Amino acid sequence: MAAKNLGAEYLKGLWEENPVFRQLLGMCPVLAVTNAVINGLAMGLATSFVLIFSSLVVSSIKKLIPAQVRIASYIVIIASFVTIADRFMAAFFPPISKALGPYVPLIVVNCIILGRQEAFSSKNSVGRSLVDALGMSTGFVLALLVLSSIREILGAGTFLGHQVLGAWFKPWIIMILPAGAFITLGILLALALVIEQKTKARKA
Amino acid sequence: MNLSSRMILVLTAVGLISGSLLAVVGMLTKERIAYNKQQEIEAAIIQVVPGTRSSRIIEHNETMPTVYECRNETEDIIGYAVYASGTGFQDIITLMFGTDPGLTKLNSLVILEQKETPGLGAKITDRVAFLQFWDNKDLSQELELRKPAVPTGDLGSSEINTITGATISSKKVLEMVNTSLEKLRRISIKQEEKSASEEKDGS
Repeated sequence: MAAKNLGAEYLKGLWEENPVFRQLLGMCPVLAVTNAVINGLAMGLATSFVLIFSSLVVSSIKKLIPAQVRIASYIVIIASFVTIADRFMAAFFPPISKALGPYVPLIVVNCIILGRQEAFSSKNSVGRSLVDALGMSTGFVLALLVLSSIREILGAGTFLGHQVLGAWFKPWIIMILPAGAFITLGILLALALVIEQKTKARKA
Repeated sequence: MNLSSRMILVLTAVGLISGSLLAVVGMLTKERIAYNKQQEIEAAIIQVVPGTRSSRIIEHNETMPTVYECRNETEDIIGYAVYASGTGFQDIITLMFGTDPGLTKLNSLVILEQKETPGLGAKITDRVAFLQFWDNKDLSQELELRKPAVPTGDLGSSEINTITGATISSKKVLEMVNTSLEKLRRISIKQEEKSASEEKDGS
Protein backbone atom coordinates (compact mmCIF):
# COMPACT_ATOMS: atom_id res chain seq x y z
CA MET A 1 0.00 0.00 0.00
CA ALA A 2 2.64 2.46 1.07
CA ALA A 3 4.53 1.91 -2.16
CA LYS A 4 1.70 3.40 -4.17
CA ASN A 5 2.51 6.86 -5.48
CA LEU A 6 0.07 9.70 -4.94
CA GLY A 7 -1.18 9.66 -8.52
CA ALA A 8 -2.19 6.02 -8.27
CA GLU A 9 -3.74 6.71 -4.87
CA TYR A 10 -5.98 9.30 -6.54
CA LEU A 11 -6.79 7.28 -9.64
CA LYS A 12 -7.87 4.17 -7.77
CA GLY A 13 -11.02 6.00 -6.66
CA LEU A 14 -12.02 6.64 -10.26
CA TRP A 15 -12.16 3.08 -11.46
CA GLU A 16 -10.28 0.33 -9.67
CA GLU A 17 -11.93 1.04 -6.30
CA ASN A 18 -14.77 3.26 -7.51
CA PRO A 19 -17.09 3.58 -4.50
CA VAL A 20 -20.26 3.04 -6.53
CA PHE A 21 -19.35 0.66 -9.34
CA ARG A 22 -16.66 -1.41 -7.62
CA GLN A 23 -17.33 -1.20 -3.87
CA LEU A 24 -21.12 -0.77 -4.06
CA LEU A 25 -21.06 1.71 -1.20
CA GLY A 26 -23.49 4.55 -0.58
CA MET A 27 -26.27 3.00 -2.66
CA CYS A 28 -29.02 4.91 -0.87
CA PRO A 29 -28.21 8.37 -2.28
CA VAL A 30 -27.04 6.83 -5.55
CA LEU A 31 -30.48 5.35 -6.16
CA ALA A 32 -32.57 8.05 -4.56
CA VAL A 33 -31.33 11.39 -5.86
CA THR A 34 -30.18 10.58 -9.39
CA ASN A 35 -33.55 11.39 -11.01
CA ALA A 36 -32.08 14.68 -12.33
CA VAL A 37 -28.52 15.69 -13.17
CA ILE A 38 -28.58 18.77 -10.95
CA ASN A 39 -29.64 16.70 -7.92
CA GLY A 40 -27.00 14.07 -8.61
CA LEU A 41 -24.33 16.72 -8.97
CA ALA A 42 -25.36 18.56 -5.80
CA MET A 43 -25.47 15.32 -3.83
CA GLY A 44 -22.05 14.32 -5.18
CA LEU A 45 -20.51 17.65 -4.25
CA ALA A 46 -22.05 17.68 -0.77
CA THR A 47 -20.79 14.16 -0.12
CA SER A 48 -17.34 15.12 -1.44
CA PHE A 49 -17.19 18.09 0.91
CA VAL A 50 -18.01 15.90 3.88
CA LEU A 51 -15.63 13.13 2.82
CA ILE A 52 -12.67 15.42 2.20
CA PHE A 53 -12.98 17.38 5.44
CA SER A 54 -13.73 14.33 7.56
CA SER A 55 -10.67 12.58 6.11
CA LEU A 56 -8.51 15.61 6.86
CA VAL A 57 -9.68 15.84 10.46
CA VAL A 58 -9.63 12.12 11.16
CA SER A 59 -6.16 11.60 9.70
CA SER A 60 -4.75 14.53 11.65
CA ILE A 61 -6.11 13.47 15.05
CA LYS A 62 -5.90 9.70 14.54
CA LYS A 63 -3.19 9.27 17.20
CA LEU A 64 -5.27 11.03 19.87
CA ILE A 65 -8.38 8.87 19.49
CA PRO A 66 -8.44 5.64 21.53
CA ALA A 67 -9.42 2.67 19.33
CA GLN A 68 -12.48 1.92 21.48
CA VAL A 69 -14.21 5.22 20.77
CA ARG A 70 -12.98 5.78 17.22
CA ILE A 71 -16.30 5.04 15.46
CA ALA A 72 -18.21 7.35 17.82
CA SER A 73 -15.68 10.12 17.24
CA TYR A 74 -15.75 9.65 13.46
CA ILE A 75 -19.54 9.82 13.41
CA VAL A 76 -19.58 13.05 15.41
CA ILE A 77 -16.99 14.58 13.06
CA ILE A 78 -18.88 13.41 9.96
CA ALA A 79 -22.24 14.56 11.31
CA SER A 80 -20.81 18.03 11.97
CA PHE A 81 -19.63 18.44 8.40
CA VAL A 82 -22.92 17.09 7.07
CA THR A 83 -24.86 19.63 9.12
CA ILE A 84 -22.60 22.40 7.84
CA ALA A 85 -23.22 21.28 4.25
CA ASP A 86 -26.97 21.04 4.89
CA ARG A 87 -27.26 24.52 6.43
CA PHE A 88 -25.05 26.00 3.73
CA MET A 89 -27.23 24.58 0.95
CA ALA A 90 -30.45 25.67 2.67
CA ALA A 91 -29.04 29.19 2.98
CA PHE A 92 -27.52 29.66 -0.46
CA PHE A 93 -29.13 27.09 -2.78
CA PRO A 94 -32.70 26.73 -1.47
CA PRO A 95 -34.15 25.03 -4.58
CA ILE A 96 -31.49 22.30 -4.57
CA SER A 97 -31.76 21.86 -0.83
CA LYS A 98 -35.49 21.37 -1.31
CA ALA A 99 -35.05 18.84 -4.10
CA LEU A 100 -32.59 16.75 -2.09
CA GLY A 101 -34.83 16.85 0.97
CA PRO A 102 -33.85 14.33 3.63
CA TYR A 103 -30.93 12.94 1.64
CA VAL A 104 -28.49 15.61 2.74
CA PRO A 105 -28.75 14.80 6.47
CA LEU A 106 -28.54 11.14 5.46
CA ILE A 107 -24.98 11.64 4.18
CA VAL A 108 -24.04 10.94 7.83
CA VAL A 109 -24.77 7.27 7.32
CA ASN A 110 -23.22 7.08 3.86
CA CYS A 111 -20.90 4.08 4.06
CA ILE A 112 -18.34 5.64 1.72
CA ILE A 113 -17.46 8.27 4.28
CA LEU A 114 -17.24 6.11 7.39
CA GLY A 115 -15.64 3.38 5.29
CA ARG A 116 -12.81 5.62 4.10
CA GLN A 117 -12.15 6.86 7.64
CA GLU A 118 -11.96 3.33 8.99
CA ALA A 119 -10.10 1.78 6.07
CA PHE A 120 -7.79 4.62 5.11
CA SER A 121 -7.63 7.92 7.02
CA SER A 122 -7.15 6.27 10.40
CA LYS A 123 -4.03 4.52 9.10
CA ASN A 124 -2.45 6.98 6.68
CA SER A 125 -0.87 10.43 6.70
CA VAL A 126 -2.88 13.61 6.22
CA GLY A 127 -1.61 14.15 2.67
CA ARG A 128 -2.33 10.61 1.57
CA SER A 129 -5.78 10.71 3.15
CA LEU A 130 -6.56 13.93 1.33
CA VAL A 131 -5.55 12.40 -2.01
CA ASP A 132 -7.58 9.29 -1.25
CA ALA A 133 -10.65 11.36 -0.30
CA LEU A 134 -10.29 13.45 -3.46
CA GLY A 135 -10.09 10.32 -5.61
CA MET A 136 -13.07 8.67 -3.96
CA SER A 137 -15.08 11.90 -4.24
CA THR A 138 -14.30 12.23 -7.94
CA GLY A 139 -15.30 8.62 -8.48
CA PHE A 140 -18.54 9.14 -6.58
CA VAL A 141 -19.44 12.36 -8.42
CA LEU A 142 -18.69 10.74 -11.80
CA ALA A 143 -20.84 7.73 -10.98
CA LEU A 144 -23.74 9.94 -9.90
CA LEU A 145 -23.34 12.02 -13.07
CA VAL A 146 -23.45 8.99 -15.35
CA LEU A 147 -26.47 7.55 -13.58
CA SER A 148 -28.41 10.81 -13.37
CA SER A 149 -27.65 11.75 -17.00
CA ILE A 150 -29.06 8.47 -18.27
CA ARG A 151 -32.10 8.76 -16.04
CA GLU A 152 -32.85 12.40 -16.79
CA ILE A 153 -32.40 12.05 -20.55
CA LEU A 154 -34.58 8.96 -20.82
CA GLY A 155 -37.02 9.88 -18.08
CA ALA A 156 -37.64 13.52 -18.93
CA GLY A 157 -35.92 14.11 -22.28
CA THR A 158 -33.79 16.84 -20.71
CA PHE A 159 -30.23 17.35 -19.51
CA LEU A 160 -29.72 19.81 -16.64
CA GLY A 161 -33.23 21.02 -17.39
CA HIS A 162 -32.53 21.76 -21.08
CA GLN A 163 -34.53 19.89 -23.68
CA VAL A 164 -32.15 17.56 -25.55
CA LEU A 165 -34.54 15.11 -27.13
CA GLY A 166 -37.12 16.44 -29.57
CA ALA A 167 -40.89 16.50 -29.23
CA TRP A 168 -41.06 13.05 -30.84
CA PHE A 169 -39.64 11.57 -27.67
CA LYS A 170 -42.11 10.25 -25.14
CA PRO A 171 -40.35 10.33 -21.72
CA TRP A 172 -40.06 6.97 -19.97
CA ILE A 173 -41.51 7.95 -16.63
CA ILE A 174 -40.19 4.75 -15.06
CA MET A 175 -36.66 6.13 -15.37
CA ILE A 176 -37.25 8.92 -12.87
CA LEU A 177 -39.09 6.60 -10.50
CA PRO A 178 -37.20 4.30 -8.08
CA ALA A 179 -37.49 1.31 -10.42
CA GLY A 180 -35.57 3.22 -13.08
CA ALA A 181 -32.74 3.76 -10.61
CA PHE A 182 -32.39 0.02 -9.99
CA ILE A 183 -32.59 -0.84 -13.68
CA THR A 184 -29.96 1.74 -14.65
CA LEU A 185 -27.63 0.85 -11.79
CA GLY A 186 -27.96 -2.86 -12.58
CA ILE A 187 -27.06 -2.35 -16.22
CA LEU A 188 -24.14 -0.08 -15.33
CA LEU A 189 -22.79 -2.56 -12.76
CA ALA A 190 -22.97 -5.36 -15.32
CA LEU A 191 -21.12 -3.15 -17.80
CA ALA A 192 -18.45 -2.32 -15.23
CA LEU A 193 -17.93 -6.03 -14.54
CA VAL A 194 -17.64 -6.85 -18.24
CA ILE A 195 -15.04 -4.12 -18.74
CA GLU A 196 -13.15 -5.32 -15.66
CA GLN A 197 -13.06 -8.89 -16.92
CA LYS A 198 -11.96 -7.83 -20.39
CA THR A 199 -9.06 -5.78 -19.02
CA LYS A 200 -8.01 -8.59 -16.70
CA ALA A 201 -8.09 -11.11 -19.55
CA ARG A 202 -5.93 -8.83 -21.65
CA LYS A 203 -3.38 -8.42 -18.84
CA ALA A 204 -3.15 -12.17 -18.24
CA MET B 1 -3.80 8.64 32.21
CA ASN B 2 -5.88 5.48 32.15
CA LEU B 3 -7.88 4.43 29.13
CA SER B 4 -11.36 5.24 30.45
CA SER B 5 -10.57 8.83 31.27
CA ARG B 6 -8.81 9.22 27.95
CA MET B 7 -11.88 7.92 26.12
CA ILE B 8 -14.14 10.31 28.04
CA LEU B 9 -11.78 13.20 27.42
CA VAL B 10 -11.49 12.58 23.68
CA LEU B 11 -15.23 12.13 23.11
CA THR B 12 -16.02 15.21 25.18
CA ALA B 13 -13.47 17.26 23.26
CA VAL B 14 -14.73 16.05 19.87
CA GLY B 15 -18.32 16.77 20.92
CA LEU B 16 -17.53 20.21 22.28
CA ILE B 17 -15.53 21.31 19.26
CA SER B 18 -18.15 20.01 16.82
CA GLY B 19 -20.94 21.56 18.85
CA SER B 20 -19.36 25.00 18.94
CA LEU B 21 -18.54 24.85 15.24
CA LEU B 22 -22.16 24.01 14.47
CA ALA B 23 -23.42 26.79 16.71
CA VAL B 24 -21.36 29.27 14.70
CA VAL B 25 -22.56 27.86 11.35
CA GLY B 26 -26.15 27.87 12.64
CA MET B 27 -25.90 31.54 13.61
CA LEU B 28 -24.31 32.50 10.32
CA THR B 29 -26.94 30.81 8.16
CA LYS B 30 -30.07 31.29 10.30
CA GLU B 31 -30.98 34.71 8.99
CA ARG B 32 -30.39 33.77 5.40
CA ILE B 33 -32.56 30.64 5.67
CA ALA B 34 -35.40 32.58 7.31
CA TYR B 35 -35.03 35.23 4.61
CA ASN B 36 -35.28 32.60 1.83
CA LYS B 37 -38.46 31.23 3.34
CA GLN B 38 -39.93 34.70 3.70
CA GLN B 39 -39.07 35.53 0.08
CA GLU B 40 -40.77 32.36 -1.08
CA ILE B 41 -43.92 33.17 0.88
CA GLU B 42 -44.02 36.76 -0.35
CA ALA B 43 -43.59 35.69 -3.97
CA ALA B 44 -46.44 33.20 -3.52
CA ILE B 45 -48.72 35.85 -1.97
CA ILE B 46 -48.26 38.14 -4.97
CA GLN B 47 -48.98 35.21 -7.25
CA VAL B 48 -52.26 34.23 -5.57
CA VAL B 49 -53.50 37.74 -4.78
CA PRO B 50 -52.20 39.86 -7.68
CA GLY B 51 -51.64 43.52 -6.93
CA THR B 52 -50.65 42.99 -3.29
CA ARG B 53 -48.36 45.71 -1.96
CA SER B 54 -48.40 44.83 1.70
CA SER B 55 -49.63 41.89 3.69
CA ARG B 56 -49.89 41.00 7.33
CA ILE B 57 -50.74 37.83 9.23
CA ILE B 58 -54.17 37.73 10.81
CA GLU B 59 -54.05 36.48 14.38
CA HIS B 60 -56.53 33.73 15.18
CA ASN B 61 -56.92 30.79 17.55
CA GLU B 62 -56.85 28.00 14.98
CA THR B 63 -53.48 26.22 14.64
CA MET B 64 -53.71 26.24 10.88
CA PRO B 65 -53.76 27.86 8.36
CA THR B 66 -51.73 31.05 8.34
CA VAL B 67 -53.85 33.78 6.77
CA TYR B 68 -52.37 36.88 5.20
CA GLU B 69 -54.52 39.93 4.71
CA CYS B 70 -53.43 41.55 1.45
CA ARG B 71 -53.69 45.26 0.71
CA ASN B 72 -53.00 47.21 -2.48
CA GLU B 73 -51.20 50.55 -2.75
CA THR B 74 -54.27 52.49 -1.59
CA GLU B 75 -54.39 50.29 1.54
CA ASP B 76 -57.68 48.59 0.56
CA ILE B 77 -58.05 44.91 1.39
CA ILE B 78 -57.94 43.11 -1.93
CA GLY B 79 -58.04 39.56 -0.64
CA TYR B 80 -56.65 36.88 1.59
CA ALA B 81 -53.70 34.58 0.97
CA VAL B 82 -53.89 31.32 2.84
CA TYR B 83 -50.79 29.29 3.65
CA ALA B 84 -51.64 25.74 4.66
CA SER B 85 -49.97 22.39 4.92
CA GLY B 86 -51.13 18.86 5.48
CA THR B 87 -50.41 15.26 4.67
CA GLY B 88 -50.40 14.29 1.02
CA PHE B 89 -49.95 10.85 -0.47
CA GLN B 90 -46.38 10.49 0.80
CA ASP B 91 -45.33 13.51 2.78
CA ILE B 92 -46.39 17.00 3.80
CA ILE B 93 -47.81 19.21 1.06
CA THR B 94 -47.54 22.96 1.66
CA LEU B 95 -49.65 25.22 -0.49
CA MET B 96 -50.97 28.74 -0.79
CA PHE B 97 -54.13 30.02 -2.36
CA GLY B 98 -55.71 33.43 -2.65
CA THR B 99 -59.29 34.64 -2.41
CA ASP B 100 -61.10 37.91 -2.94
CA PRO B 101 -62.06 39.92 0.21
CA GLY B 102 -65.64 38.61 0.22
CA LEU B 103 -64.51 34.96 -0.03
CA THR B 104 -66.64 34.44 -3.13
CA LYS B 105 -63.83 33.60 -5.53
CA LEU B 106 -60.61 31.62 -5.35
CA ASN B 107 -57.98 33.41 -7.45
CA SER B 108 -55.39 30.69 -7.88
CA LEU B 109 -53.36 28.04 -6.10
CA VAL B 110 -49.62 27.39 -5.80
CA ILE B 111 -47.88 24.37 -4.30
CA LEU B 112 -44.84 25.35 -2.26
CA GLU B 113 -43.62 22.01 -1.00
CA GLN B 114 -44.44 18.43 -1.87
CA LYS B 115 -42.81 15.03 -2.14
CA GLU B 116 -45.47 13.21 -4.15
CA THR B 117 -44.63 10.47 -6.64
CA PRO B 118 -42.57 11.93 -9.51
CA GLY B 119 -44.51 11.80 -12.76
CA LEU B 120 -47.85 11.19 -11.05
CA GLY B 121 -48.71 12.94 -7.79
CA ALA B 122 -45.97 15.49 -8.39
CA LYS B 123 -48.16 16.82 -11.21
CA ILE B 124 -49.98 18.85 -8.55
CA THR B 125 -47.25 21.44 -9.23
CA ASP B 126 -47.91 21.35 -12.97
CA ARG B 127 -49.94 24.24 -14.39
CA VAL B 128 -51.34 22.41 -17.38
CA ALA B 129 -52.15 19.19 -15.56
CA PHE B 130 -53.62 20.63 -12.39
CA LEU B 131 -53.07 24.20 -11.22
CA GLN B 132 -54.89 25.86 -14.13
CA PHE B 133 -58.15 24.27 -12.96
CA TRP B 134 -57.90 26.26 -9.74
CA ASP B 135 -57.96 29.67 -11.40
CA ASN B 136 -61.03 31.84 -10.67
CA LYS B 137 -63.16 29.28 -8.89
CA ASP B 138 -66.61 30.08 -7.58
CA LEU B 139 -66.70 29.67 -3.81
CA SER B 140 -70.47 29.96 -3.37
CA GLN B 141 -70.59 26.16 -3.49
CA GLU B 142 -68.06 23.71 -2.09
CA LEU B 143 -65.17 22.91 -4.43
CA GLU B 144 -65.33 19.43 -5.89
CA LEU B 145 -63.13 17.12 -7.93
CA ARG B 146 -64.22 15.97 -11.37
CA LYS B 147 -63.26 12.41 -12.19
CA PRO B 148 -62.55 11.41 -14.89
CA ALA B 149 -61.18 14.70 -16.11
CA VAL B 150 -63.16 16.67 -18.69
CA PRO B 151 -62.05 19.42 -21.13
CA THR B 152 -61.58 22.76 -19.36
CA GLY B 153 -64.64 24.26 -21.07
CA ASP B 154 -66.98 21.60 -19.67
CA LEU B 155 -65.74 22.08 -16.12
CA GLY B 156 -68.25 23.54 -13.65
CA SER B 157 -67.46 26.86 -11.95
CA SER B 158 -66.45 25.09 -8.74
CA GLU B 159 -65.08 21.87 -10.19
CA ILE B 160 -61.45 20.82 -10.46
CA ASN B 161 -60.13 18.09 -12.74
CA THR B 162 -58.54 15.11 -10.98
CA ILE B 163 -55.03 14.14 -12.10
CA THR B 164 -55.20 10.74 -13.79
CA GLY B 165 -53.29 8.23 -11.67
CA ALA B 166 -53.01 10.59 -8.73
CA THR B 167 -56.49 10.72 -7.25
CA ILE B 168 -55.19 10.71 -3.69
CA SER B 169 -52.82 13.64 -4.22
CA SER B 170 -55.58 15.63 -5.94
CA LYS B 171 -58.02 14.79 -3.17
CA LYS B 172 -55.60 15.77 -0.41
CA VAL B 173 -55.03 19.16 -1.99
CA LEU B 174 -58.77 19.69 -2.34
CA GLU B 175 -59.42 18.65 1.27
CA MET B 176 -56.73 21.01 2.48
CA VAL B 177 -58.20 23.93 0.52
CA ASN B 178 -61.76 23.18 1.65
CA THR B 179 -60.86 22.88 5.35
CA SER B 180 -58.79 26.04 5.15
CA LEU B 181 -61.66 27.88 3.48
CA GLU B 182 -64.03 26.76 6.19
CA LYS B 183 -61.67 28.06 8.85
CA LEU B 184 -61.05 31.23 6.88
CA ARG B 185 -64.79 31.93 6.84
CA ARG B 186 -64.91 31.63 10.63
CA ILE B 187 -61.81 33.75 11.01
CA SER B 188 -63.02 36.51 8.74
CA ILE B 189 -66.40 36.63 10.48
CA LYS B 190 -64.63 37.01 13.82
CA GLN B 191 -62.39 39.63 12.29
CA GLU B 192 -65.42 41.67 11.17
CA GLU B 193 -67.11 41.35 14.58
CA LYS B 194 -63.91 42.47 16.22
CA SER B 195 -63.51 45.56 14.06
CA ALA B 196 -67.22 46.35 14.46
CA SER B 197 -66.95 46.19 18.26
CA GLU B 198 -63.76 48.23 18.17
CA GLU B 199 -65.59 50.95 16.26
CA LYS B 200 -68.37 50.86 18.84
CA ASP B 201 -65.84 51.23 21.64
CA GLY B 202 -64.28 54.16 19.90
CA SER B 203 -67.52 56.12 19.53
